[in-house]
Amino acid sequence: MAGTSLKFGRGVAAIAAVVVVIGAGVVGAEDREALAAEVRGLGWIVFSARTSGGEWDLHVMRPDGSGVRNLTKTPGSNEAYPLFSRDGRRLLFRRLGRGETISGNDYGVQGVPVVANSDGSSEKVLGGEGELPWASWSPDGKEFACLALKGVTFVDAATGKVTRVLKRSGFFQQLTWSPDGEWLSGVSNAFGSGWSVARMHVKTGDVNGVSLTDNCTPDWFPDGGRMIFSNRHASDVALGKTGWTQLWMAGADGKNARLVYAEDGRHIYGGHVSPDGKYVVFTGNPQEDGDPANGGAPMGLMRVADAPIIGGDSALLRKEHPGAKRGPVLVLPKGWEPCWTYHEIAFTK
Amino acid sequence: MKTRYFLLLAMIGMVACGKKPVVPDPQLGSRGTVEVTAKLLEVPEGAIIQRDLYDYATVLKYEVTEVHRGDVQRGAVIHVGHYNPWKPRAEAADRKVKDVGGTLRRFRADERHRMALEPGMDEHYLGGIVDKYFGKRDGDVFWAVWTNPAE
Repeated sequence: MAGTSLKFGRGVAAIAAVVVVIGAGVVGAEDREALAAEVRGLGWIVFSARTSGGEWDLHVMRPDGSGVRNLTKTPGSNEAYPLFSRDGRRLLFRRLGRGETISGNDYGVQGVPVVANSDGSSEKVLGGEGELPWASWSPDGKEFACLALKGVTFVDAATGKVTRVLKRSGFFQQLTWSPDGEWLSGVSNAFGSGWSVARMHVKTGDVNGVSLTDNCTPDWFPDGGRMIFSNRHASDVALGKTGWTQLWMAGADGKNARLVYAEDGRHIYGGHVSPDGKYVVFTGNPQEDGDPANGGAPMGLMRVADAPIIGGDSALLRKEHPGAKRGPVLVLPKGWEPCWTYHEIAFTK
Repeated sequence: MKTRYFLLLAMIGMVACGKKPVVPDPQLGSRGTVEVTAKLLEVPEGAIIQRDLYDYATVLKYEVTEVHRGDVQRGAVIHVGHYNPWKPRAEAADRKVKDVGGTLRRFRADERHRMALEPGMDEHYLGGIVDKYFGKRDGDVFWAVWTNPAE
């Protein structure tokens, strides 16, 4: 079965600009090359990755993995959790001390919040350590939604003033404002299972669960009606295993949940849907926490229309999802928390 | 002044009776707004697991056997959230949750704990929760600030 797995983390150079196109069985090289050609010109993906110097910097690449550029180049600090504004013109991220390990639990509150142009120029530090926790852009880029113990706050991006506060209703991490402006997604403890993916209405604060057990890193489809998220699937746990984290999608009302990508041996996190909703980029890590203490693992990219795809041997998974495809999936450079814009960045830096 | 006098007399009395004087842990008296001694009724399966990568709090069920401070009734069944319960209480605090501690090393059913608590766990803790009583319990969950074995 060699060649069927994404081979995340095995001998892939840290920031290789080479696209490795993989797959097997019914997936032909033409399919994979077609996917690479299809996405190559569709804007840029920003991600955090460890450099040869050891620090985590922000990088951008074309969606096929080509054209990798280091945006921050800061040997004295780490940068993480980059978020393009929805118009793709600005970039929000966290800057941490060089010695601080990026935490899978807390990366949205670590370090200081920084905003820059999408090419990394004209940086501006927006606050002190831990400020603007889990900040997420409003669709028009004029506000941030933030999440802290005392509630969900809406902050004017220009002045830094809090304009409104909602009860957090169990939300505790990974807040993301929907592209249609109506909802926030997040991870909640209000449904009895600790790590539920849920949504909250930005005006009323009404909350509903989307996927209730062992989930994280929720994000939105562009219509605001569907979400993508990582899920530790119950069937694995029932088999007496810890289970591998899989990428799932569902209606934002929690209905019609279905598998997007899974692979035994990889935890799939950080699912981020392209601005037109046709593709998804994600990380695939042998280590449960994404291995931020080391180098992370290569990202993957696939068409949503090809879901479900199962990578590797994954015999039990294939029994569970007999109709699942084997690809095509592009293997991209190592990275963490990717974010995609179709905006064409003008590099001035 | 009178209080000090009586405490001294009590200690002398205990020494005279051959008992060691019990010095209350000042952390218990100074933290939280509620202080109780309570019996841990059970440790449900899966409520306490070692998860190195994910910090969490677990909700445990107690019967209050003594009320030292605060608005709780003796005999009441209460639910208490403990942060990273697989760790000894003295090692539970971290950068994210600083204000928890105690001398209890391990949670065992039927043992009694003396705890300083805050009502309203959600107002004191932001993170994952394992709650085996979800949908089965009434009332608020207390947040355990300090937890010692009861003397």
